[in-house]
Amino acid sequence: MRINEFHGRAVKIFILDHIIAIVLILLILFLSFAAPSFLTVTNWLNILKAISMKGVIAFGMTMVIIAGQIDLSIGSVVAIAGVIAAFACENLPGMSGMSLTAAAIIGMLTAVIFSGGLGAFHGFFQVRCGMPAFIITLAAQLFLYGLAGIICGGFPIAGKMPDWFNHIGVGRVGNIPIPAIILVIIFLVSFFVMGYTRIGRAVYAVGGNAEAARLAGINVMTTEIFCFAATAVFATIGGFINSAQVLQATFNFGRGWETDVISAVVIGGTSMTGGVGRISGTMLGIIFIGVIANGMTLLDVSVYMQYVIRATLLFCAVLLSIFLPKLKQKIS
Amino acid sequence: MKLAARDIIKDYPGCRALDKVSFEMESGKVYALIGKNGSGKSTLVKLFAGVIQPTDGELLMDGEKLHFKTPKEAHDKGIVTVYQEMSLIPGLTVAENIFLNRMPKKGRMIDWKTAYRKADGLLKTMGVSIDPRALIKDLSMWQKQIVEITRAMSFSPEILMLDEPTSALAQHEVQNLLSFVRKLKEQDIIVIYITHKLQELKQVADEIVVLRDGEFIGQRPVGDIDNREIVHMMFGEVSLRHRPEDVVPGRDIVMSVRGLTQKRTFQNITFDLYRGEVLGIAGMLGSGRTELLRAIFGADKFQEGTVEIEGKRIEKFDPIHLIDAGVGLTPEERKTQGVILMHSVKDNLNYASIRANTIGKYIEDKKKRTENAKKQVRDLQIRIPDMDSPCSTLSGGNQQKVVVGNWLSINPRIMLYDEPSRGIDVNAKQQIFEIMWKGSKEGISTIFVSTELEELLEVCNRILIMCHGKLAGEVDPDKCPIDELYACCMSGEIPPEIVYRRKEA
Repeated sequence: MRINEFHGRAVKIFILDHIIAIVLILLILFLSFAAPSFLTVTNWLNILKAISMKGVIAFGMTMVIIAGQIDLSIGSVVAIAGVIAAFACENLPGMSGMSLTAAAIIGMLTAVIFSGGLGAFHGFFQVRCGMPAFIITLAAQLFLYGLAGIICGGFPIAGKMPDWFNHIGVGRVGNIPIPAIILVIIFLVSFFVMGYTRIGRAVYAVGGNAEAARLAGINVMTTEIFCFAATAVFATIGGFINSAQVLQATFNFGRGWETDVISAVVIGGTSMTGGVGRISGTMLGIIFIGVIANGMTLLDVSVYMQYVIRATLLFCAVLLSIFLPKLKQKIS
Repeated sequence: MKLAARDIIKDYPGCRALDKVSFEMESGKVYALIGKNGSGKSTLVKLFAGVIQPTDGELLMDGEKLHFKTPKEAHDKGIVTVYQEMSLIPGLTVAENIFLNRMPKKGRMIDWKTAYRKADGLLKTMGVSIDPRALIKDLSMWQKQIVEITRAMSFSPEILMLDEPTSALAQHEVQNLLSFVRKLKEQDIIVIYITHKLQELKQVADEIVVLRDGEFIGQRPVGDIDNREIVHMMFGEVSLRHRPEDVVPGRDIVMSVRGLTQKRTFQNITFDLYRGEVLGIAGMLGSGRTELLRAIFGADKFQEGTVEIEGKRIEKFDPIHLIDAGVGLTPEERKTQGVILMHSVKDNLNYASIRANTIGKYIEDKKKRTENAKKQVRDLQIRIPDMDSPCSTLSGGNQQKVVVGNWLSINPRIMLYDEPSRGIDVNAKQQIFEIMWKGSKEGISTIFVSTELEELLEVCNRILIMCHGKLAGEVDPDKCPIDELYACCMSGEIPPEIVYRRKEA
């Protein structure tokens, strides 16, 4: 009797601890029966490919949110990354006679350096001036949206990129889409950084209690700049993949992506109050969002219904994260 | 109107906060309720305010027994309390704050004209000129405090309790508030004034009521009693345990502070710290002790002065550089500055040494982290369920030990302790002191700031006195009785016989 009770409790706690994973598995089971083409290798590779662009950004966003901040600018960073690269491809060869490949590489490097600088800007003003990251990055979102529009003149820059650039978006190694490979690489890098390095530990500390972290000799500004820069650079990579798939770039690419990215992070169990969260959780959140989008498309659910379902999911995930600890305490 | 307490007892699990407290008060007088920290002042206030209920004994108002189940019942009976923390809403006007939740109305709309007129009338009867249309955030601290008292008075209370109303005020503001409180007497109410500042109660009170360790010590008219007697009533015969004989300062200077000045908080602070010395800093609230420690540690900016550690002048003042120079600080507010509550014991023991416990420069050394955490838990006898339990689940004492352990893991040369014994039990306190002494024997120098003067006398080799941001001098704890120390902190004057003289070996 006692032992049973104990096991019951342990099982309950296990369920609560892995609730998202369990719901995901149930969802996968359901979709496997409902849509016969769901549980195939091809479909799963498609899911990974489809979610890869927002997925890479979600890992950066996880760091920013663990550090107690938020980054709303990523959508515009996606746009401007593509626009800068495409702009370089369009103009540099004609101006200096350099090859298209060199122009593309210079364009991409410029975009990466630019986004690193953007991260520094965000972190600096947040820490030094105490501005809310919400506002800083909202301003950046608008600013970069406009800037991207100015650079591309309001029209897509299309067909100017080299062919190899296209591979970043649609190429495969063996059977595996390159975007999926990029997603996994960035996952592994983020996982390592947050779990095994000094800066990762500092991110948790700053998000947990910035003042205590500062007094313990942790450089709060460096830490936040790191998170914002990682997010912006990852958004740039997401922007490259996006532009590479369609071989064009324009200012309204990436518009509204922050919703899905933040959803993935939150569904993955990262707390919006900072200090708590896991990269592996975010991976789960990304897959969750990918599976739902894919499954609903396979089941012919309308786009609008998809929004409704995703919103409900996000809401419930946060609600759950608030009540889980209390439930757990009750049980144990 | 008369208020009486008869044999009031209040028990908390494991301790008796009030033990048979009895006294009488009558209207038209100001009573100063005094006692050191933990004497039961706050408990008594909470009892009157209906926040808690006595375990035994009774409260009488004009012979009628009072039984308050909720603060509202006490409020309805005319007992109104103004607490230390300001409860005003900064973005609203004075009038809105005074009539919060009961603004005069015309039909269903707020009647602003009447509200301002009534507020103005109230403020005028209190004899102050504050514009009822002003926003609270634009007022000075003492004006805010007066608005708070005016709001309390607008309930026409029989008994007004003021809980350390001057603690947040600057020196010149205190006088304004005190004369205001004196005027309250004319309203024929009982004013209970809680304070620990001697000069104030002389100016404001008619009688003093002294509590010590939950016991009622005495009630005396202010006119008949001098400061020495009051302090004696507050502290009683203090028998100090003593620091071990072998806790003695070395002969070489580890840190010298010269002319440190932070505008408005402290000026021209100069002293030396010797190797292995336990140096105390005593001073009243607002004397600048905490700010001084934080400035030395680089946590806050200061304007002038230098700090030398081991003969090397510190060029950049931020916690990172001070840690590199071998300095650690356990901050005043443990929960908001010392630990990261949601993180584990192990993490919290490894934050200060985050840059040291690495493989190469950037990769965390998990093994070293675990070893360090285990060592600190063992050395400091931290009692925890396991290394991964969050710090929020620990008792105050164990949390404080985690803070100390975090710093000991950088192998500091100098430890700065700011109020390390606040809110922790006696046993844990003693253990913290032993950690200081042990550090001293290992050559760590300590600066110890505490509000509890008897702790300073017990623990330190030497005590600096700070008074209104100035260093008043240094005192030898072996020659200084506690009431003298208290008097020094109050007046900033140190009698020559207790001045510290370095013992020549």
